[in-house]
Amino acid sequence: MAKMIDSLLQGFRLHRLNRLRDQRSFLENYLPILVKAIRDREARRTALWNERAEAALRGPAILADIATPALAAEKQAALAKIEERYRWRFKALAQSKKRALERSADPAVETTFAHRAEELESRKRQTLTKCALRFETPLERSQSDLAAAKEAYRLKSEAVQAKAEKRLTLEKAKADRSVAAKTASYESKIALLGNKIEAVRGVLIARRSADADSMMPEDVLLSVRNLSMRFGGLLAVDNLSFDVRKGEIFGLIGPNGAGKTTIFNCITRFYRATAGEMLYRKNAVEVIRLNDYPVHDIIRQGIVRTFQNVELVWELSILDNLLVAAHTVYRTGFFGQLFHTPKLRREEEVMRAKAFSVLNTLGLLPYAFAIPYGLPYGILKKIELARTLMAHPRLIILDEPAAGLNDKETEELAVLIKKIRDDYHATIFLVEHDMGLVMDVCDTICAISFGKKLALGTPAEIQADKLVRSAYLGEES
Amino acid sequence: MIEKLLYVILAAVGLYELVDLAVLRRMKKRLVHRARLLNLLMLLVILTGFAFAIEAMTLYLFLQIVLLNIVEMCVLVLATTGIVLIFKTSVTTNFAQGTIATVGAFTAAKLIIYLTANSAMPMSTKLILALVSSAVVCFLIGLFIDTVIFRHSRYSNPVGKQMITMGIVLVLFGLMPVLFGLLPLTVEAFSYEGQIINLPNMFPLFLPNHNLYALCITVAMLVTLFAALRFTKWGLGVRATASNETVASMMGVNTKLITALSWGIAGAFGGVAAFLFAPVGNAVTVSFMTPVQVNAFLASILGGFSSFGGPLVGAVLINLFSSIASAINSVWTNVIVYVLVLLLVLAKPLGLFGKKTAKKV
Amino acid sequence: MTTLRLSFDRIRKQLASIARHPYFGFLAFGSILVVLRLLAIGGVIPNSLMKSLVITMIYAIIALGFSLLLGYGGLASLGTAGFVGLGTYFIGHFSGTLGYPFAATLLISLLGAIVLGAIVGFISLRIEGMYLAIITLGLSEILREVFKSFTAFTNGVNGLGFRDFALFGLPVSDTAVDFIVIFVFILIILGTLNIIKSPTGRALLAMKNSDSAAQSMGIGLMKYRLLAFILATIYAVIGGLLYMMDQQFSIPTTWSLDFSLNILAAVVVGGAQSITGIILGTFMIFGLNMTVLKEIAFFREYPDATWIVSGLLIILITMFYPGGLIRLIQAIRFWLVKTGKKLKRKWRIHRYGEDD
Repeated sequence: MAKMIDSLLQGFRLHRLNRLRDQRSFLENYLPILVKAIRDREARRTALWNERAEAALRGPAILADIATPALAAEKQAALAKIEERYRWRFKALAQSKKRALERSADPAVETTFAHRAEELESRKRQTLTKCALRFETPLERSQSDLAAAKEAYRLKSEAVQAKAEKRLTLEKAKADRSVAAKTASYESKIALLGNKIEAVRGVLIARRSADADSMMPEDVLLSVRNLSMRFGGLLAVDNLSFDVRKGEIFGLIGPNGAGKTTIFNCITRFYRATAGEMLYRKNAVEVIRLNDYPVHDIIRQGIVRTFQNVELVWELSILDNLLVAAHTVYRTGFFGQLFHTPKLRREEEVMRAKAFSVLNTLGLLPYAFAIPYGLPYGILKKIELARTLMAHPRLIILDEPAAGLNDKETEELAVLIKKIRDDYHATIFLVEHDMGLVMDVCDTICAISFGKKLALGTPAEIQADKLVRSAYLGEES
Repeated sequence: MIEKLLYVILAAVGLYELVDLAVLRRMKKRLVHRARLLNLLMLLVILTGFAFAIEAMTLYLFLQIVLLNIVEMCVLVLATTGIVLIFKTSVTTNFAQGTIATVGAFTAAKLIIYLTANSAMPMSTKLILALVSSAVVCFLIGLFIDTVIFRHSRYSNPVGKQMITMGIVLVLFGLMPVLFGLLPLTVEAFSYEGQIINLPNMFPLFLPNHNLYALCITVAMLVTLFAALRFTKWGLGVRATASNETVASMMGVNTKLITALSWGIAGAFGGVAAFLFAPVGNAVTVSFMTPVQVNAFLASILGGFSSFGGPLVGAVLINLFSSIASAINSVWTNVIVYVLVLLLVLAKPLGLFGKKTAKKV
Repeated sequence: MTTLRLSFDRIRKQLASIARHPYFGFLAFGSILVVLRLLAIGGVIPNSLMKSLVITMIYAIIALGFSLLLGYGGLASLGTAGFVGLGTYFIGHFSGTLGYPFAATLLISLLGAIVLGAIVGFISLRIEGMYLAIITLGLSEILREVFKSFTAFTNGVNGLGFRDFALFGLPVSDTAVDFIVIFVFILIILGTLNIIKSPTGRALLAMKNSDSAAQSMGIGLMKYRLLAFILATIYAVIGGLLYMMDQQFSIPTTWSLDFSLNILAAVVVGGAQSITGIILGTFMIFGLNMTVLKEIAFFREYPDATWIVSGLLIILITMFYPGGLIRLIQAIRFWLVKTGKKLKRKWRIHRYGEDD
């Protein structure tokens, strides 16, 4: 009885811990987005004030015949626009002249067109001077008047500048203040959550029952024990056992039809194993039996998989595909989604930022808004890989990641897999036919044939193993 | 009667679990045997259900109702055959089966009217001519649909094809009043007399001649079809196309011809069905085949689309169900039948004779 | 002068950002409908046109629910007619015959929709694809038989009338019903938009594309299939309630296979994944023959011949534009832009010569 209550309490604590962690990660991710939004607003307001200051000075500057840089640039642009317009008109004139000459070789045509060109030239000159006048004082004035205008301009510009500076400092101060306030409040919340998490974790670890450790050693993440899978009369996996340690890259190899994908499907619960059990260390205190979980709960335990043939949502952009993969991370309920509450919008922003960072890591940013139709196969495979990184993975299961890739892409993939292991602190478990890739990236390799284990060890050991060689190359041992 | 049936079902479930635990556990191909056992027990339950029902309504009444309903059974079987044939070759459920058949019935009715007015043939010749014309018109419509519409649809996924057949239903619905007028028409029966059958220990049974003829025509058509499927090159082609169209066409089977012919033949079956269905108290209207259409779909999934014979058994079963149900309660007949079919399909999602195709992940 | 221009720029930008908001188009559409209705009161446009627009809106609501099933969940169902019919009888029986207040009727209808949707959802877990379509067709037929035979509830084959509708004790006139329909229509559009742009909509799409991939991403099939069916049933029942308010009469023959097929056709013809497309498709299938075609002499002689137009539309669109009318419109717009550019280039060459 006491034990039952204890385990129940532990369950509650775990739940609480997960919630707190979710909250903390949300706050941590949302803070930079918030700060960026504040800074963007500040930049927008600053540009607006500058614009206004310039506009206020425009009139006095023209009156005082002073070519301020802004005014000069404006004048240049206006003149260039007129030049461009007349360039086209001249071209049109030349074209119609050509056509007229083709029709008749009358010398009168030449003279008419020369006349028209002159007319156009004079019109252009007139327009240019008229335009230039817009930026100069329109009146003939005495020196004293001009001096007075200049003085007025000086005064006005000082006033405007002073005002703009004041505004700008105010804006900056406001933004700084609000950034500081947000940062402080978020950080204090994060720190508070951190304390709570530590406290709950402390209790959890202190109260943990001994059987978790007795079930499997501390550094093992996934332990497959005596797994068997039978389809009708065919024994696809036969009494197989192996351990995947935390933070390693574990490779599963074997000839075609050896039952590799079947093992994956058993672990991710697509198939119900005939016998045997899969143990998984969910966190520091909990070891769970994967046999007890339905397919769609596996990802919540931190196990994410890819598929042999690419299985994307073809109607959605790459970014949205990544958001689909983050499905389990959303906390907003159905009614929140129905009314698009601010909570959902904040969550979406956080997820988008995360998706962009993942895309950046894998070098997929240019494709973020593309539809997967018609993208090259290598890119699609990478998108599948990117998808696994969206839902806090602890164990990533890759089913033939290099199938269909060329040599260069495979090399890139090897680098990428190692990078993912290091950056996301995930353990990687892969099935692959490409021996080069497997030997290159894997720390431990398990070789199987017809559902039976042949050998387990480092790449060098596997290469030296006689059974493996005979299975692959048909050598007589 | 219901309580008795419940006891039987309970006993069957108990037996299933018991055998599964005690015997099948130790056997090698447990899944296969389990599926077989389940089939056997379901068949038993259905048979017991029939037995109880017949006991409740007396054998005489049952036989008499079955004899009177023969023509409906034939119609259902013919319509179902058409649907399955098209499903096998084009992988789509043909919603237009009933409507195409209605066009056939309208043609037949119009032809009879024309012949009566313009010639002095005996009735039987007129009817045979009308039957043939109905079948031919439906054959041509089927051919037209496949060759003109289906072959030119650029993106042909199953749902798209289904949509096209629905569009055909609507077009024909609209066309029929324009072509054949707004009034309902009638088709004469082959004969309005009947045979008296005397069985020992029973009142004499009555079998209308029309039903007898219908049964003969249906059996003849089915035997021809199955023989053709079994022994001719076309039949082999249909079976190959049904199993995998792409592979079949790569192996040199002319899948286009085979699909077109299948559509035509399915249409002809429908035409004959409508011709037989029209005289039994049904005026030929635009939607007079709709109940047959719905029942034929239910029969197809009750039997399972994966075999040719299964849907036919499904059609016969549905007809028997409705015969019995109409004797028990004439108001809720259809509801009883639909609920029964629904429960059976829920128990066996791929139909009574369906085979599962595994999906690879 | 310049200051003024700058502020105009700013206002234009603001307006543009409002217009880009996804709600804007639909809200504008709703206002246009309200204005049309007001014009109809003023007698500027004929009342019969407005009547057919209102009934088209009701069908569009049902079609939107169906699109969540077919376009997003990838689940084919032919049971729509039965569910809509159930909605009409709910309000006709409880509010009409028994005189319950509307809130109680609404509650009963929603509960009924949820239960029914959940039942179909559970069935869909076991039966898939075309089998599901046929089984739901069977369910709809069962409901229709119930409508025919359960006379205490539905008044049988004679049809159930529904008059003197009252909301919160106040009698509601026909005009008010039209405004209610417009309001609910826009509300439902916005709700649908929110759903399809949220994790739920994406989860449904993922489920449609691949069951196994969706499950491996934590999308429970049971939850989302049930959700899709419950939503579609709720939409259908709400459509039924509105239908009864508007038409004031419901008869079992309406709720047959044809009705479900027409809703399906509206969704497919318009474009199963776009709200605009569905509204367009509903208008093509239902609104067109009520507003335009009935003015033509041929169709007045043979009223059923309007089916030919719908049928041909369905066939042609599935044959050549499986994405629906919305894709066709996009293609046309694309073509116009392209042709415009081409013409402009040609003109330039003519006017200014080959080079540059």
